[in-house]
Amino acid sequence: MSTNISASHFSSHDGNGPLLELAGVRASYGPIEVLHGVDLVVPQGSVVALLGPNGAGKSTILKVCSGLLQPTAGEVRVAGRVINGATADQLARLGLCTIPEGKGVFPNLTVRENLWMATMAGVSLSDVEEIAYARFPRLGERRKQLAGTMSGGEQQMLSMARALSVNPALLLLDELSMGLAPLVVANLYEIVAQVSEEGVSILVSEQFARTVLGIAHYAAIVLHGNVTRVGTPAELEDELSAAYLGS
Amino acid sequence: MQQFVQYTILGLVLGGVYFIAASGLVVTYTTSGIFNFSQGAIAMLAAFTYWQLRWGWGWPAPIALLVVLGVLAPALGAVLYQVVMKNLRGTSEVTKIVVSVGVMLGFLALATWVWNPTASSPRNFQKFFGANAIVEIFGVRITWHEIISFVLALGIAAGIRFLFVRTRSGVAMRAVVDDPELLELNGGRPERLATISWAGGAFLAALAGILITPITGSSMSANALTLLVIDAFAAAMFGRLKSLPRTFVGAIVLGLTNYYVVAYFPSSWTWTSAFRQSIPMIMLFIILIILPQDRLRGTTVLRTRERFHMPTMRTAWIAALVLVVVMFSLQTIMQPSPMKTLAYGMTLAMIALSLVLLTGLAGEINLAALSFGAIGTIVVFHFGTTGSGLDARMTLWGIVLASLVCAVVGAVVALPALRLRGLYLALATMAFGVFVSKMVLSEGNPRRLFGRDFTIFPGGTLRIPRPKIGPVDFNSDKAFLTLVTVLFALLAIGLVAIRHSGYGRRLAAMKDSPAACATLGMSVVRLKLSVFMLSAAVAGLGGVLMSAQLGAVSAERFDIFLSLSLLMVTVVGGIGYASGALLAGLFLGCSLLAMTNTLTKLGADYASIQAIFAFMISAVTVLPATIGITMGKNPSGAVTDIVKGLNDIKQARPLMFTIIGFEVGIWLLTATDVLTNWNFVILTAINLLVVPPLGGAIMKKRAYAKAGVAPPTPAEFIGIDRAYTQLDLDEMESVLGFDALGVAAPVLHEGEPAHAPA
Repeated sequence: MSTNISASHFSSHDGNGPLLELAGVRASYGPIEVLHGVDLVVPQGSVVALLGPNGAGKSTILKVCSGLLQPTAGEVRVAGRVINGATADQLARLGLCTIPEGKGVFPNLTVRENLWMATMAGVSLSDVEEIAYARFPRLGERRKQLAGTMSGGEQQMLSMARALSVNPALLLLDELSMGLAPLVVANLYEIVAQVSEEGVSILVSEQFARTVLGIAHYAAIVLHGNVTRVGTPAELEDELSAAYLGS
Repeated sequence: MQQFVQYTILGLVLGGVYFIAASGLVVTYTTSGIFNFSQGAIAMLAAFTYWQLRWGWGWPAPIALLVVLGVLAPALGAVLYQVVMKNLRGTSEVTKIVVSVGVMLGFLALATWVWNPTASSPRNFQKFFGANAIVEIFGVRITWHEIISFVLALGIAAGIRFLFVRTRSGVAMRAVVDDPELLELNGGRPERLATISWAGGAFLAALAGILITPITGSSMSANALTLLVIDAFAAAMFGRLKSLPRTFVGAIVLGLTNYYVVAYFPSSWTWTSAFRQSIPMIMLFIILIILPQDRLRGTTVLRTRERFHMPTMRTAWIAALVLVVVMFSLQTIMQPSPMKTLAYGMTLAMIALSLVLLTGLAGEINLAALSFGAIGTIVVFHFGTTGSGLDARMTLWGIVLASLVCAVVGAVVALPALRLRGLYLALATMAFGVFVSKMVLSEGNPRRLFGRDFTIFPGGTLRIPRPKIGPVDFNSDKAFLTLVTVLFALLAIGLVAIRHSGYGRRLAAMKDSPAACATLGMSVVRLKLSVFMLSAAVAGLGGVLMSAQLGAVSAERFDIFLSLSLLMVTVVGGIGYASGALLAGLFLGCSLLAMTNTLTKLGADYASIQAIFAFMISAVTVLPATIGITMGKNPSGAVTDIVKGLNDIKQARPLMFTIIGFEVGIWLLTATDVLTNWNFVILTAINLLVVPPLGGAIMKKRAYAKAGVAPPTPAEFIGIDRAYTQLDLDEMESVLGFDALGVAAPVLHEGEPAHAPA
């Protein structure tokens, strides 16, 4: 089954095929279906942005990819292997890194303990700390502080530090900009761009389209639980306002 | 000086054992967010099991310890989590409390079942190495058992701290509470961590139980042993269920106070012993009030799984009328003894109604409803009766006064606890309940107060007469049953009316989000205080009538475990509805007794298989707890299902008339003395339990026949009742997920024998 996929399968996949592929994925919360057959492809080493208004199903797509929600129909493939039925913790240990919506930190754990939790993906704590503190010196100053007592921006830095340090094959980012100052958001997306340059494939959902289009290779517009349009940012530029305003 | 050292050492040892028990609470609460009320019961079970192995069967101590602490206790904890507690995700605080209370009551019933409390020879639980293994330190004699206990407490304190701070698994356990999903995304396994921590918590409880039993020298009584560990709650709360060092300090203070009271209170104070027993609860109450709690947070509003619909006033009136009519027809055919039982059940239902008001409507929790009943009873006993001997009657004035006093006491309890919510409030009321039981209801001897002699609870038993209101005397069983039924019906209608009023809507709003209420300009304080007073008054009224029904009440009638049972059964029935309270009262007051009596009677009639009936009686005592434990699966209560069933029957008119017709027929036969009361009960049970599904099945079959469609075949009969088709095969493929694995789906060819793919 899906547990046979090893981390090496995720990363040493030959560069041509897509790293993440959704085919006809349907998903529901209880009796309510929210994804009605989503098709989506994230090519190796690219940044794909999921765009769309509130409640379109962007976060649900990411939940299905990360293993938190099982699809009711269709297939999710990573590096060509079907991962339906794999749990979130299995996928995380296999090289999938998900930064959830809002603050992806444990508020009652210290900064250092938060980073320690990242090591369950199979990296050493000293490596994680080194990368995190080098990238965000502010975290180094506050390593003994409870994460919940830091500012929103600092908390988002902490959750991004995990993405940087666990060396994932695929990074899933959900609403990075939520509740943060524009300057902080711009900084965070700079980092996302750098991660992408290292060859990591990234799927990012974002309500504020303009903030992410600068770094995305492709964008997909999600409306009412369907991917309605896929293309390069330039191609989609004109359709965006129509999608959001529902003309 | 030597006395001081002696008592200090004893206090330290007791504190150490308290710490072990409290640390178990902290561990399970930290990882699963569930406050384990059954901690004390686990400790009690462990103590009994250890006694059985060590002295009952004469095993050597190390082996008995290994089996109890190394195997049984951790297994019990793990199973408890996997089977019961895991299902509590996304339920409200009340459900969480009730389920773990249910586990506690279940273990208690189990212990009394297995280890007969009236055994001929007393169970002797000795200290490790016997009571004579003594060393002298500073001129004070200490047993090895006590030294071991204290050293173990220190070791466990250090060990848990190391686990939680210095190991990744320990930190992950703390992370589970914050956000189990995020931990999964990190690659952790929250379920496994929680299971391990419950195993650990049960181990600590068991250890505390085995250590504390010989230290306090108490008899091997299930209730007493359970309460002993519940005393550790105060220590855990001092650490705010988080900090282990603070928990340790709290436990030690608790242990020391306990012994210093013995040592230094003047021996002329007759209440010292009762006071000593209530110290932990008094401390729990004070700690809860003084310690800063979590601030009001807007984000605490979770989407819980409980759903309660609001009945209309019309429904309420009809239901109340039906209840009164049914009760009236029942009492015309009933013998006096079942009528007494029924009246007792109705008074319990009235007390349960106070919980519906408080918990169902306002979301506050009271674990000591019967303690208010006790207070009402005491007031009526002293100030609310006229006449003497057989002519004694309770006055209307007495009933009103009792309710008022209960409301005031309710306010006094609630006022300091106003900031508290959920679990903290629940624990505060529990502390109050135990305090009332131990300090107030034990006041059997006269005491000089303000220059006159006064006894609160003379002789340990109060005689409470039935009421007489104006010219109407409710002394006969029939009249009394009518009184409590009509009162319950009126209170229930009042409850629905409250729910529909602006006040009721404010209560519902407060239940959902106190923070939002505050921002809307409501006075949350006034709301909480008023609903608590109202609820206490109803509980007091119910308690007074319960005492009047029983005639003579002792302190056991107001025991904290009874209050807990009542709350649990009410939540099982449906804490959001008056009918839930009715169900709870009748179940706890009548059904259990009726079942036990029936089985006893059967046992007497068929002496050869008497043992089987004795076994079933014990099983019945465990029944309510078993029902409580399954709450996690259906947190909205049984009433929801019953109402749904009733609505289905209402849709099927022929069926409804059949059932009503049968029931009237049975009643007429009983009224004309053709049928006995027993047969009436049995036939009614058949009519209500067997006829609806049977009739439903018949009507369904007819409907299919009328529409000319074949009814769907149940999965297990496919291939037997009808042929196996490609459609079935495809469905099985998709259920098993074969297409996702890329296995080619087999195709069923016409004429070939069908067989499932391997």
